[in-house]
Amino acid sequence: MYLGIDVGGTHTDAVVVDKAGVVLAAAKVSTNHEDLLCSVREVLENVLSKVQPEGIERLNLSTTLSTNIIVEEKTEDVGVLVSSGPGLPMEMIRVGRHFYGLSGSIDHRGVEVVPLDEAEADQAIAACREDGVKVFAAVTKFSPRNPLQENDLKQRLSDSGADFISLGHQLSGMLNFPRRVNTAYYNAAVWRTFNTFADAIEASVQEFCHHLPHIHILKADGGTMPFALSRETPVESILSGPAASVMGIIALCDIATDCVILDIGGTTTDIAVFADGAPLVEEGIEVGSHPTLVRALKTISIGVGGDSLIHCLKGEVRVGPQRLGPPLAFGGKEPSLMDAFNFLGLAPVGDVDASKQGLERIASDWGMSPVIVARQALDHATASIKKAVDDMVFAINEKPVYTIMELLHDKRIEPGKVYLMGGPAKAFQHLLAKVFALDVVVPENYDVVNAIGAALARTTFEVELFADTEKRIMVIPNLDVTKEIGPGFNLADAEAKAKEYLLEHLASLGVEENGDAVDILESTSFNMVDNDMRVGRNIRVRCQIRPGVVIT
Amino acid sequence: MVKAQNSLGLIFFPAFDWAISPTHPEREERLLYTLDQLREEGIFDIEGINEYKPEVAVREDVERVHFCLPSVENVTTKSHLISAGGAIKAAKLVMEKQEKKAFALIRPPGHHGMRVVHGNRGFCNINIEAIMLEHIREHYGPIRAAIVDTDCHHGDGTEDIYWHDPDTLFISLHQDGRTLYPGTGFPQELGGPNARGKNINIPLPPNTSDEGFLYVLDNVIMPILEDFKPDIIINSAGQDNHFSDPITDMRFSARGYAILNERLNPDIAVLEGGYAIQGALPYVNLGIVLAMAGVDYSGVREPDYDASLLEQDPKITKYITELCDGMMNIYANVPRFPKEGEVQGDWFVRPKDIYYDTDDISEKQVEAVALCDECAGTLKIETWSTANPMNALCVEIPRNACTRCVTKGHDLIEKACRTDDYRYVRLIDRKEKQYLQFGY
Repeated sequence: MYLGIDVGGTHTDAVVVDKAGVVLAAAKVSTNHEDLLCSVREVLENVLSKVQPEGIERLNLSTTLSTNIIVEEKTEDVGVLVSSGPGLPMEMIRVGRHFYGLSGSIDHRGVEVVPLDEAEADQAIAACREDGVKVFAAVTKFSPRNPLQENDLKQRLSDSGADFISLGHQLSGMLNFPRRVNTAYYNAAVWRTFNTFADAIEASVQEFCHHLPHIHILKADGGTMPFALSRETPVESILSGPAASVMGIIALCDIATDCVILDIGGTTTDIAVFADGAPLVEEGIEVGSHPTLVRALKTISIGVGGDSLIHCLKGEVRVGPQRLGPPLAFGGKEPSLMDAFNFLGLAPVGDVDASKQGLERIASDWGMSPVIVARQALDHATASIKKAVDDMVFAINEKPVYTIMELLHDKRIEPGKVYLMGGPAKAFQHLLAKVFALDVVVPENYDVVNAIGAALARTTFEVELFADTEKRIMVIPNLDVTKEIGPGFNLADAEAKAKEYLLEHLASLGVEENGDAVDILESTSFNMVDNDMRVGRNIRVRCQIRPGVVIT
Repeated sequence: MVKAQNSLGLIFFPAFDWAISPTHPEREERLLYTLDQLREEGIFDIEGINEYKPEVAVREDVERVHFCLPSVENVTTKSHLISAGGAIKAAKLVMEKQEKKAFALIRPPGHHGMRVVHGNRGFCNINIEAIMLEHIREHYGPIRAAIVDTDCHHGDGTEDIYWHDPDTLFISLHQDGRTLYPGTGFPQELGGPNARGKNINIPLPPNTSDEGFLYVLDNVIMPILEDFKPDIIINSAGQDNHFSDPITDMRFSARGYAILNERLNPDIAVLEGGYAIQGALPYVNLGIVLAMAGVDYSGVREPDYDASLLEQDPKITKYITELCDGMMNIYANVPRFPKEGEVQGDWFVRPKDIYYDTDDISEKQVEAVALCDECAGTLKIETWSTANPMNALCVEIPRNACTRCVTKGHDLIEKACRTDDYRYVRLIDRKEKQYLQFGY
């Protein structure tokens, strides 16, 4: 049996599923923001009381912990050491209070142009130590091409007794220096709290399961990472909530075409788009307005949900994005979207009379009929969702491509179906079917889809391989692999190596995958020419374990 | 987060699957390192910098500008149409005020592409700036445009296309034609009889440094631009003046390019040549992007940059100072007729020999323009080449043609169709938006 837990903004959900994905037990408790562990323990106890806890083989946990630490600015002080070389002024990427720009530079081919200034680096480290800083991020420009200076900084930092050091190249092989700095910064900033939480989780799981199953933490790309790895890269656990829901839909529905996934919650609606049945992945998400290199399922969130406030703007009825507590039907003070459903008798929940009285009150305030107010509120909500979906699909289809082949044989996404989940899903089903003019499917168990997704998500990992046959070198930054290669090393070799290292790495973490789930995302080989002579090949391969669910 | 002062649209299209030939400088890898550099700098995350897909130019976009012999399909590939389409997209973003400025980082280049196209010269087939500019004029109405060509090679194609157009100021600064392909672009080449002083060439001596380029900008280009008062400024942004370029001899730096761009303040920039793909392009392109967006570019610097090595020889400085004085003197006293060619009745006629280096084609032309005070004058070109040895007649009735010139154009075509003198007869009628082929 697999156990899935999703700690969300409003609720903490848990399910126990068998290996075929059948739900054996489910539980839902309110999330206690002050003490997430307490919510996890409560839901664990509840859901495990319905099954034999000894039979739990694996726990996948999706938690807002890291996100909350960042959003609530409860991060630990991080010493940030960067060397950027030429380009944008270092001040522009400053993050945190202990930011040190160092001399030293590496160019786009990984050649060290200016060595690190050792004295300067040691001074910066000493200054951080003096300020009581214990965790660090070290990032240099083009470190995925050559991690030399980052590794050097790591050595100096661990000699100085740092508790934790986050290196840019170990977090992503993608090129984007400012994002790499942010990612390493956040990774160090949440490290201690995450690990304290992880210890407590481990103890609680042991306590309730009477043994310790494999624990995995959900990532924003819809995959999981083994518990041990999550302790080193806690930043990967941010914003995994929307991904859990999307993975749940994959588990519950057989999706093979372009489609839209909507998760309508109390405050927001999360939107995801699938191409040919597979979720789209974004190379880096923003956390608290800081762009990072944390991969995520492409989702957007708009301020329309069951609890969204109904208000009136220049004679037009509007919904959201504000939420002022629960709907009247559940003891709230102001009418919200769910009250409009109640008024029209579309999906009665809670105290229907309270909803009716509330709508009549605001309608008379605005000099309108309550039926019109309720209808317009629902129309505005569905129209907002439709527009957000259209904009998202448009943006995806407008994404730049870099080859003539791709530009001329442009694959465009045209969603043919809508999958709907979340608390108010049933209420919205028919309205959205009309607005989208598409089949709208609401799966069973739609209110715990997120936990099901968490329970069944597969471990994902991505590697970038960069090879330069002129320099006879191959680098896989996030696995810290730097290897010599022969002059005949070609694209096929590179793809094979990338796959091999990816699977080997997972195996070392106790995750057995065969090659079937490996996608080659990018695979290019360029001739390097000097004086009309081919001097070598510049090869780039990027591959991943495809996000997905494992059902046997 | 970094914010751009000017919103900037980037059309980045490296055409990673196209080359003239595997080891040709114009090959797949050309913008690879530029992409690496722009990505690593986080350029695409800067607030106010947005990336767009190129459009694909259509046949009509090409036919509006060029006489392609024997046909558009014969002298262009999809890569050329995408490159031109990238420039068009850049122009649209600016004309529709979606972005303040736009930079099309596209390949292959176009500024050696002339009015008549028999093949590829200087790595160019069709002229992407001209196709862009005429697309703008066709769709957004008449505008006065200035094209400033900062490629190291004389922009002879753009010069040829706008030679007779009084509404387009073309300024090319380049390495002296006596030392570099295509061997043209001298100060006396000032435009056709109906557009005198609207074509400016500034040939610079080898080893000109930042100092020299910026001196020319401040003392020749800016004053002439001020005099012309363009509605739009286009930078034909070739990057082979760079000190590391393998096929030229100049000493311009990435920072120099950025400063030039900041002062020139173009609305649109279009990448042209530049083949130091590792040592120059990543840094020059970064410099231009930052300068156009109004973001601090002072940290842009090549790994092998050495200010002392790039210091300008005083002799060169003196030469350039005198050149600039001479240029302004010429500009103030432009003779009525060009040196090359002669008046024949109410036409001005000049012979032209054109060589297509990439495709090894030789072309001969007799070009005649109707002398006209009211419009750019109807243009008549008779051409034959080693690729198309049969005589062709090409006639252009310009955008703002007066009735007299319209009649002249139609008379030429009618007469040609009645005889067997020409294998191909072509008409670009900008007034009626007709691009016709006869007797084919």
